[in-house]
Amino acid sequence: MRLKKLLPQLVAATLMCLGATSVDAEERLFVRLGGEAKLKAAVDELIDVMLKDERINFAFAETDLPKFKHLLYTQLCELAAGPCIYDGRDMRTAHAKLPLTSAHFNALTEDLYIAFDRVGVSYPVQNELIALLAPMQRDVVKR
Amino acid sequence: MRTRAAPTSIQFCLALALLCVATAAAGENRFGADRGKLLMTAGFTTIEGAGGGGLTPWALITGYGTERSWGANAHATGIALRDFDYMSIGAAVGVLDRFELSVARQTMEASKGALDGVSLSQNILGAKLRVFGDAVYAQDSWVPQVAIGVQIKRHDGIDGGAQAGLPSLTSVTQLGAQDEDGIDYYVSATKLSLAHSFVVDVTLRYTDANQFGLLGFGGDVDEGASLRAEASIAYLMRRSLAVGVEYRGRAQHLSIDQESDAWDAFVAWAPNRAISFVAGYVNLGGVLAPVTGDSSDQDGAYLSVQIGF
Repeated sequence: MRLKKLLPQLVAATLMCLGATSVDAEERLFVRLGGEAKLKAAVDELIDVMLKDERINFAFAETDLPKFKHLLYTQLCELAAGPCIYDGRDMRTAHAKLPLTSAHFNALTEDLYIAFDRVGVSYPVQNELIALLAPMQRDVVKR
Repeated sequence: MRTRAAPTSIQFCLALALLCVATAAAGENRFGADRGKLLMTAGFTTIEGAGGGGLTPWALITGYGTERSWGANAHATGIALRDFDYMSIGAAVGVLDRFELSVARQTMEASKGALDGVSLSQNILGAKLRVFGDAVYAQDSWVPQVAIGVQIKRHDGIDGGAQAGLPSLTSVTQLGAQDEDGIDYYVSATKLSLAHSFVVDVTLRYTDANQFGLLGFGGDVDEGASLRAEASIAYLMRRSLAVGVEYRGRAQHLSIDQESDAWDAFVAWAPNRAISFVAGYVNLGGVLAPVTGDSSDQDGAYLSVQIGF
């Protein structure tokens, strides 16, 4: 039957339209951050900035950088409602052995701003991402 | 007997000295000062010495010390009003991102008009306690950071009365104030919304001050203290730059001063954690209009510098 053949195509087309409009309507943060290419570039810049940052580079002395880079990208991508799934440890477990303070947390935040400046993401959009990261202070910082 | 109001030049030198001491201390991490807060999240300094905006305090604790450290700063603020030169200098310390202590000296001197040369001064000791909430990290919550504060104000007398043909004028009680000294109590709620790049503060102040206390406390029209609302809103344009407006509700207690609400608009710039500048426009409404015969708004340019760590 023609209708039977047409129905899945109609459904698929409708879903595609809905999907497209929802992305446009929501203007997902992932898209506004510049998508995969820019977010990956920002992560590269962040690693460069934080390893030179005397306030916090001690924390990355034993870090497997390629793995860290992948985890950081998927984490930021997922937070920004991008097409990724972060499969790393939760923030409390990941930072359990590090004696981190709010000053360290804020230093990394500052480095993140610098990294996103370098790849040309605007300040209000940077702030939207930082807003999603800020509550992690509770899990990262030792009480 | 109280000391007379110091000449503006001495105040200016004192302000410079304070700023120099603060700069020197900011040069390195002294005594465990971590300078760990994010840029601008230490706020600025109000005309009464508390951390906040310009006219109204915020619930943020002054200085760049985090919850396991401390910070301090000094400020000098000048407002060139239409007929008065206004100045505030002071210093403040923030401890454990929990307590704040501040000292400030305010002077308002008539620069023209009927009261030319008359100067009013007061000293303010301020304390602030952060009670609950987190303005910065709790971005997943609308609960603001809330602090309570007190400002103990002691008037330092009226100077220069003779110049204005009023040689016997030495105390604000002669102008109708009930008291020379007074205490303001306030509660502030502040929230930073990073997702929208703005800061909002609402403050309620219980006070009977006239012109911040420069004209004493209570008066012949109304002697009682009352609850007044204040608010700030600032938009973050860059990591180091914000623009905003403030409002401060005030009451009239004196027949010789139809005190009205005050407001300002400002640009705040913090190039780094050691120094910040706030420039703006302030409008206090008429000041002492029934005395000077000039009911024009006392408004003008506002400039404030803070140095610290």
